[in-house]
Order: sequence, then C-alpha cells, then structure tokens
Amino acid sequence: MPNIKLQSSDGEIYNVDVEIAKCSVTIKTMLEDLGMDEDEEEVVPLPNVNSAILKKVIQWATYHKDDPPPPEDDENKEKRTDDISSWDADFLKVDQGTLFELILAANYLDIKGLLDVTCKTVANMIKGKTPEEIRKTFNIKNDFSAAEEEQVRKENEWCEEK
Amino acid sequence: MSGAQGVVERASAQLTKRINGLRRGKGGSGGGGGGVVERVTTALCGTVLPPPPPPEKPARCRSKPPVPPPRRTAILSAARRPSKVDELLLDDYFLNFLFRYFTAGERRVLAQVCSKWRDVLYRGPRNWAGILPVVHCRELKSQTERVKLYSSFVRRGFHCLALLSATDEDVVDLVDSYPLSAKQLHSLSLRCSSVTDRGLETLIDHLQALYELELAGCNEITEAGLWSCLTPRIVSLTLSDCINVADEAIGAVAQLLPSLYEFSLQAYHVTDAALGFFSPKQSSSLNVLRLHSCWEITNHGIVNIVHSLPNLTVLSLSGCSKVTDEGVELIAENLQKLRCLDLSWCSRITDAALEYIACDLNTLEELTLDRCVHITDIGIGYISTMLSLTALFLRWCSQVRDFGVHHLCGMQNLQVLSLAGCPLLSSSGLSSLIQLRHLRELELTNCPGATKELFDYLREHLPRCLVIE
Repeated sequence: MPNIKLQSSDGEIYNVDVEIAKCSVTIKTMLEDLGMDEDEEEVVPLPNVNSAILKKVIQWATYHKDDPPPPEDDENKEKRTDDISSWDADFLKVDQGTLFELILAANYLDIKGLLDVTCKTVANMIKGKTPEEIRKTFNIKNDFSAAEEEQVRKENEWCEEK
Repeated sequence: MSGAQGVVERASAQLTKRINGLRRGKGGSGGGGGGVVERVTTALCGTVLPPPPPPEKPARCRSKPPVPPPRRTAILSAARRPSKVDELLLDDYFLNFLFRYFTAGERRVLAQVCSKWRDVLYRGPRNWAGILPVVHCRELKSQTERVKLYSSFVRRGFHCLALLSATDEDVVDLVDSYPLSAKQLHSLSLRCSSVTDRGLETLIDHLQALYELELAGCNEITEAGLWSCLTPRIVSLTLSDCINVADEAIGAVAQLLPSLYEFSLQAYHVTDAALGFFSPKQSSSLNVLRLHSCWEITNHGIVNIVHSLPNLTVLSLSGCSKVTDEGVELIAENLQKLRCLDLSWCSRITDAALEYIACDLNTLEELTLDRCVHITDIGIGYISTMLSLTALFLRWCSQVRDFGVHHLCGMQNLQVLSLAGCPLLSSSGLSSLIQLRHLRELELTNCPGATKELFDYLREHLPRCLVIE
C-alpha cells in the first residue's frame, strides 16, 4: 500500500496509508485536484492540526478504514445520539479540550464519521442538563439580562411537544 | 515553534508552486485556473458544515475583521471556519450542525443558554417542528410582554398556537398585538377558556389561514356560536369537554364544514341521531373520526356512521361503552378501508367482535383493545391471523393468558405491541415474544410476569426493539 506523509502544525510527520488518509475528504480532494503521484515523497502540511490530535485522528481513521460510506443525512430529521459504538465511546474518553480539538480537526479535514461521533458525544454531554448546568459545563457566558432571561424562559416553557 | 512554522511555510510554498504550475499547464482563461485554486481552497478549508447564508456573517467576523494571511499560506488557511476551541460553541455553522442532534423539545432548553444559542435556534423554523406554543393568558400582564411573546413566535416561524384560560379580551389582544397571525396561523387551540361565541367569531374572522381548530373545555361556547362561526376552511376539528356541545353542534359541523377530513369529539350528550347528520360531501372527505367517551352512542349510532361515512380510514370509539359485538360486526362489514380501529374501554365487546374484525378488515394496521376485559385467548387467536396488523394494544385485558401470547408469536409483521397490565402472563409465556423479529416497541409495564431477568432476555434477543418496563 502506498503511503503519504502528513505533517502536523508542530512539525511532526506521520506516514499514513493513502487509503486511510483519504477518509479525509480534504486530503482526498487535494490529491485528486493536484494529481499527486502516490509514490512521490511529498509532505502534506496540516497547519490546523497539532500532533497529539493528528495522532488521534489517524488512530480513528485506521480503525474505521473499512466502514461503508456514511449515508446522506436528511436535513429535516434529527439525528440519534444513542448509537455510539463501544470502540468510539472508549476512543472519546478524553478531556473536553481534546474532544473539541477533534471536532475542529474533523471539520477541517472533512471526516464526516468522526465529526458525527464527536458531535454526538458533545450532544450527550448537553442532554438532560438545565441551561445553567450547560453554561457551567462549557464555560458559556450568560449574556441575558434578568428580564430577557425571564422572557426566553417563558417563550420556551410555554411550548409543548405535539 | 519558529522552526515548525518554517516547515509549514515551505510546504505551503510547494503547494502554491504546484497550483501555479497547474494553472499554467491548463493554459486557457484565468477563470479556469482560478477554479482549481478555488477547489483546492475549498477542499482545504473543509466543507462539512453548511455554507454561510450570505447576509449574515458570524459575529466573530464582524468583531475582528480577518487579517489577510500572507500569500504563500493563503491556500492552507481555514479563515472561514472556527479554528479555536472557545469559538466553536459560539459559531453559527457549528451550532446549527450540533443542534441537529437534539429533539425540538430539547431545543427549548438550549435556547435559554445564551443569546447566541437562542438566535441560532430561533432563526430556523425547522428547529421547532412539532412544537406548540401555549400562551398562559392569565400570567401575561403588560401589553409589551404580550407583543414581545407574539413577536418571538413570529421569529420562530410557528404556524400553530394554543391559548390557555383565555377571555374575550385576550382574543382582542391577540388580534391587535399579533396581526401577522391572520396569515401565519394554521392551527388554533382554545383550552379551558371562557371565550364566548362573540370572541370565537372575532378570532375566526381574523385568522384567515386557519384550517385546524380545537376547542377544549370552552364552556361559554354555545351550539348557536358554532353555527355562526365555523368556516368551510376548517379541515380538522376537535371538540372536547365543552359542556354545550351536543347533537346541534354536530349538525353545524355536518352542514358548515364540507372539507372536513378529521373530526375528534368528546361529548357525553351526543346521541345516535347526530351521527346520521354527515353530508354526502363529507362522506368522501372525512377520513378520521374519533368519538371519545360518547357514552350515549349505541349500535344505532354505528349504523349511522357506516352509512354516512363509508370511507373512514381511522375510527376510534374509545370509551363508547354501549357499543357491543353487533356494532363491531357492522363496522367490519362496511368500513373496508379502515387502517386504525380503537375500541379501548368498550367493555361489552367479546371474542366474537374480534372474529368479525379478523375476517373482514383486511387492511387494518392498528388495533387498540385496551380494557376490553371480556376478550380471551380465543379472540387473540382470531386476531393473530391478521397479516396486515403492525400495531396491537392489549393493555389491561385481564383475561389474556400465555396461550394468547403463543398466538401472538405467529404475527411476523407486528412492530408495536403492548401487553401492559395483563395480570395472568407468566415470564416464560412472555419470553416467547422473541419470535417477533420485527418488533420495534414492546410495552410490558405493570405485568407481574415481567421480571428483571425477562427484560434482560428480551433486550438481548430483540436488540432493535424498545422494551418499555
């Protein structure tokens, strides 16, 4: 199998099977558009991903290399979050900072499956919490005035599911 | 750090050179060359999150105008995307993406976190599908408060609204402070309200786009009021627990609503005669009829229904306790298009009724027999021959035994089953349900035979089924 060299923002170079690297649509498109020969000794710089995160991404992509392509998602349908595989759940037992770094990397590299499972994990951290608990968990500033907060509370508590 | 930067820059320069080379190689117009650069830029900037709506730039961009990166690294910069962790949870694109993992109900909590989350959620009407805003009229004090509330509904794109404890003044106020409701509201519900006939007329005159109306617990509304305000626009009507609703009200519904598709009625004083009022036009349009706890209705009423409404696809007689097996025979023989039948709390029906159903209703998909306490395993045996049935509810059918469950195991198309509250079923009887391979939902609340071990066993063997304890 031909390899490709991926370089993290802090200069680490990783030798990766091209087929695995191509689970990143960003890298796949780049290889196709530039017509890079697979046997060339080129280094692909990824200035938005540091080595710790790139290592995790490669680990994820290697495990999932034989996955079928993810189905086209239906914009109108809400997505499930209770179907994270046990391998992914273990893989994502990381601190919040790392989880968000993985989301950024998955978005930048355009790896749908990884973005999906990381977002699911964040969604599960949010579900069942009160607004105040959500703010605390993610360090989000409450920028409502007291009156606004009361208003938005009413607007939403006075809503029921049909 | 500077060393690493150097490597990146060198690599970027190499890429730039390649792209320039490509541009030269392709020759032709500059536009074509630009295309390649654009494609590569897009590729390297990520495309998973949806592209921004043109008029709204993220706050991030507004507050800090992006510094144009040096030419050599331009290709690899992801300027349009969040690149820092603390920006992520305030980034419009990311939030829109993340919020799709929540139900509309859960989004009500999210909207209260901060103004950014609220604004992102309120901007998308799709986020609120399936949500009904219910205005607690008594708790709204000032005019400004009302205007604010209604304008938030406009912002969120609601087409439905419920008023709780409303008076005629609240109705006038709705018309004044929510003028857009005339065009926007498709569905209105008045609950536990003292709105009078006049108030209702004002409201329905104003709501020109209304086609769905619910009146629940509106004791000031009279039958004369319904005669004067029902409009032919209405295709779905629910009347429940309104003290003045009796036969005359059904007369008004039958005369004034030729396009009625769905009619739900809960009224203790409606008699058999009223069910013969439906017009020939309605016999083709009216598909869904729900008569809940209409205690006066007997088999004569069923005769009227099957004659005036032969095209029903959904019929509920829940709590119409005077209906007997003969009534069910009439339904089975005459309502051939039925897909859903609800006979819950019809305590007089027996296994014979189930034989009629099993023989004649060949397209029935959903059958509800909750609290039909006379049905036994023999009746379940009849039902188990119905191949079309996908949902079956047998809650609190106190005579059903393991042998009945044994019959059910042959129903390979069954997707939803409830045996909640059936007291005679044993663990081993229930364990045979694993044969129902297509089951998606199984409800076993209040079954003495449903032990912890049984639930574990069922979950293990029916992994795709939601087992409700």
